[in-house]
Amino acid sequence: MDCKQAVSFMHEYLDGELPSEQARELRSHLDACPDCRTAFRRLEETEMMLFAANRKDESVSLSDDMTDRIMSFLPQPKKHNPVWNWVRRHPAVTAAAAALLIMLGTSIGFWNADTQLVLKGNDLKGVQVQGDVVIVPEGTKVAGDLTVERGKLEIYGDVEGNVTVIDGSAFQASTAHVAGQVKDINQAFDWIWYKLGNIVSEVAYR
Amino acid sequence: MDNLETRLVKLALKGDQRAFAEIVDLYKDRIFHLAYRMLNNRHEAEDVVQETFLRVYRNLDRYDPGQKFSTWIYRIGTNLSIDRLRKRKPTYSLDAEIGDQDGADGYALIPSDNRTPETEYMISETRTTIHEAIDDLPPKYKTVMILRYLQELSLQEISDVLDMPVTTIKTRVHRGREFLRKKLESQSY
Repeated sequence: MDCKQAVSFMHEYLDGELPSEQARELRSHLDACPDCRTAFRRLEETEMMLFAANRKDESVSLSDDMTDRIMSFLPQPKKHNPVWNWVRRHPAVTAAAAALLIMLGTSIGFWNADTQLVLKGNDLKGVQVQGDVVIVPEGTKVAGDLTVERGKLEIYGDVEGNVTVIDGSAFQASTAHVAGQVKDINQAFDWIWYKLGNIVSEVAYR
Repeated sequence: MDNLETRLVKLALKGDQRAFAEIVDLYKDRIFHLAYRMLNNRHEAEDVVQETFLRVYRNLDRYDPGQKFSTWIYRIGTNLSIDRLRKRKPTYSLDAEIGDQDGADGYALIPSDNRTPETEYMISETRTTIHEAIDDLPPKYKTVMILRYLQELSLQEISDVLDMPVTTIKTRVHRGREFLRKKLESQSY
């Protein structure tokens, strides 16, 4: 073993990582080489001093109120909403769940959601509702559009806008007068077009 | 592996302020001594302690219980100290060293029954020599030597804290040791 190798073994030994066989080799080299013996003793002393000098270093210590100071520095505890935490930790699952929900929502809401009558319009003062029948009596005037979903529409009076019937029926008496168009939508496909048309015209108006 | 720290972290995450105060109590002195030895300035070391715990608090939900808590907090404390060392102007370090001399002498004032004033003086001298020597090391060696000899971390733990291969840590310990040996020799002869 040369001295360079010996020094490397010395460090391994001080790290506590020199296998016993190499330790014996180092031992026999040290017996034969006075320079390395001195070097090894110095290194051992350095190692001991390093641990000793640092271990009982109580010359400086942290002020006693440090814990209180740190605690007062901290921002107010975060509000822990378990649902939101879960969402933050599982973004992929959340996105998938949201997509699924939207798909489900649209397919259900599409067509046979419920059997409730829906009546829409901006002037419904004179309009009468009897069960699932919507009546525009003779002599009344509806200013604007009229939309009926899942109901029967009977018009005896005037409608100044468009009339739309979705999944229902429209009856116009001889006295009826509709200024706009009368649309009767009974199929899913038509309904999509109607919705799309609404979006397009809404966008177009803005 | 539900040790004390992991339990305290869980409680603190639920908003238990006392649990977090306990984490602070467990680690504040270790982080302070680490930072003090790195920066050789009491005021800056206290700043590092505060900043460390603020970061720990903010990132508590990101703590991985598979990792040792000590490794995690040492990493934060070490990085903050290294950052400060790097930002320092060369003169600043000198000022700090002068300003902190009374702190270093404090130990000699502590009475000890089984030590004569002579050995007391020797110990304090050696300590000063070693601290000065460590302070002269470049930051990358300094960090490793402080974690090894002040915090008494194993080579593997130091490698985890600094996120470097164990072989690198070993090389640095060996070189640091050689440097200090030469320094001590030049002092005593």
